[in-house]
Amino acid sequence: MTKIGWQEKWTLRFAVVALVWLAINGFEGILMRTQLSAPGALHGVEAALNLFRPVGREPSSAEVFYSMLTAHPICGVYGFAYMAVMGAFYYLVPTLLKKEIRHKRLVPLNFWLQTVSVFVAWGAGFFLLFDALYTLYWPLPVAYDRVPLVGSIVFAVGAAGIMVNILLFSFNIFSTVLSKSNPGSYTTGQFLRAAFGIAALRRWLGRKPDDDPQPDFGSLPVFIVSVARGSVDTVINAVVLLTAGGLILVYGLAALFNAPLNPLAVNALVYKNWFWWGLDMVADGNVLIYAAGVWYLLVPLLVGRKLYGEAVVRTVILADLLVSLGVWSHHLLADRPQPLVMRLLSGQLITWGEFFTMGLTIFVSLYTIWLARPVKLTPPLKFVLGSIFGFLMGGAAGLIQANVGLNLVLHNTQWVISTHAHTMLLSGLGTLIFAVIYALIPMMTGLEVRSRRLVDVHLWTWLVGSTAMAWAMGLAGIQGMLRRTLYPLPNQYELHNVVALAGGIVLAVGFLAFLVNIVGTLGWGNVLGLVVPERPPRASGAAA
Amino acid sequence: MEKEERIWFGVLIAVFLVFNVITLSPLVPWQQWLLWSNPTPTQRIAVEFSNYQIKLPANPVRVKAGEFVEFTATSADVTYGLGAFRPDGAMAFQMQVIPGYENKLVWKFDTPGLYDVRSTEYSGPRHSEMLVKKAIQVIP
Repeated sequence: MTKIGWQEKWTLRFAVVALVWLAINGFEGILMRTQLSAPGALHGVEAALNLFRPVGREPSSAEVFYSMLTAHPICGVYGFAYMAVMGAFYYLVPTLLKKEIRHKRLVPLNFWLQTVSVFVAWGAGFFLLFDALYTLYWPLPVAYDRVPLVGSIVFAVGAAGIMVNILLFSFNIFSTVLSKSNPGSYTTGQFLRAAFGIAALRRWLGRKPDDDPQPDFGSLPVFIVSVARGSVDTVINAVVLLTAGGLILVYGLAALFNAPLNPLAVNALVYKNWFWWGLDMVADGNVLIYAAGVWYLLVPLLVGRKLYGEAVVRTVILADLLVSLGVWSHHLLADRPQPLVMRLLSGQLITWGEFFTMGLTIFVSLYTIWLARPVKLTPPLKFVLGSIFGFLMGGAAGLIQANVGLNLVLHNTQWVISTHAHTMLLSGLGTLIFAVIYALIPMMTGLEVRSRRLVDVHLWTWLVGSTAMAWAMGLAGIQGMLRRTLYPLPNQYELHNVVALAGGIVLAVGFLAFLVNIVGTLGWGNVLGLVVPERPPRASGAAA
Repeated sequence: MEKEERIWFGVLIAVFLVFNVITLSPLVPWQQWLLWSNPTPTQRIAVEFSNYQIKLPANPVRVKAGEFVEFTATSADVTYGLGAFRPDGAMAFQMQVIPGYENKLVWKFDTPGLYDVRSTEYSGPRHSEMLVKKAIQVIP
């Protein structure tokens, strides 16, 4: 059994819980795809799951479907992706900066608060049948003739816990990045000025720099710059969603105590703008910036060559941050009361800013690999290339729908959620997270991934399965199939649904191959050792 | 910026320009009247959404192919969507129906036939029931 250090253990714990959420997420996905392919086929499963639902009545199949659809992105995004990111950053940030995590006690707190809060928010959907979906379009989450009151309150509590935890995590990451980089500490203002490039802009304009020490992003590793700038989006996302969760909670508690508030007192369009502005800090913000940062980190590491065009890359990350602040209207292209100038600028043209930033990022990554030829196609490098393929496909689909003209026939179709969103999340982000896991395990444990054959099985089944699923449903979307809609049989989308279900099963096979390989690599002793608690090590000068 | 990056950046700019010029132009047929002209509709159709119901002024609503029709959709409770679907199931157009607003869209049907109307936005677990078959009859 290999001796695994304290920080490495926590990173692995985050990874294990992330993978558990991914497994739950995949299970839900298969159930929902089955329901779409063969409505009624899951009555037995529904009856079994209803035994665990304390709702005191037999819910309809539609209620079960939509509550699962509400729970699905919670465990996918905040269970799988965020847990994986937290674990990876808690290892990579201090390692790359050659210093320790600033507040070590926050690491286990983040782990447990995220795990419990995701379970609460997810459970509000899965068990309590909260079915307002993750978009939470006002006033649906507080329309208690359609969504369960207790489920709504529990969901808001869980969501608030997740957001508070993300703020704590971001605080710890910022503290770690900023601690002792220079004599003295930085203020939040100084950090934000640096994150938004104000300090560099002042220098460029010939203005005298401030006397106070400024964080020097130019000297930090590119990955850390990505983490810092992406985390600005992460914080904005958490704050905005916290306000939305708080609003739902206030309405819920008022209704619970028989003092219901008027839902139409909140302007639905203003709320939608606010909510999507915040939510998009994930979808079009930190996901892209963190993904870029990981490519900038892994590619040079894996091919043994300095990143090509590093100076431009730093500007690209800043551009990514600025673009992410202005793209949310592409979710409101179908909202006619939204001013046309907003739909055109924020919804379409600024969204194309991501085409430039991601286009340059992907070019830099691929050109670095090209210049390093011949390269050895190691497991993480294969998955890096797979993730680039995923982001290219999903990004292209996103640009097609983020268009004031084409959105008229694509909005809320299966194209949006499958060809764009699921491709970004599964083929893009999911593949990249696997690349990080394949890269970090040897770094953290000294163990080489056991079976290259299983790595290949994992790669190809994952990519083929996710692509088949995305395109089958995307084609259904072009032919008019809506997302979030149950179609009784017979319908014209049956073949699409069956192919998508088959794609999901192929995807699951890939995931199983990955699990077998990882457990085989780490050994059961190390895996089971992760449940043994221990105290954080004391380090000189590190605040605990 | 190095030479290869400049070349690639130029390619990106070209793709950006070509895609956006094409999709904002009347090559996408409805951009002609949604972006570039302000036609006066010959018919106005008010569609009301409430309690999972879609209320149209007639069943079917008759419109003439090639003429401009303005749809005005309102919701009394939550957000819905107004979508018209061609006889082959493909979507002709859709818009969100935000409560508290008059949601308006001008449309010109090009092909005669019977169109279904569906809510295109999730509004609760009975959302999928919000379908009015053969709700719009487009006559030549």
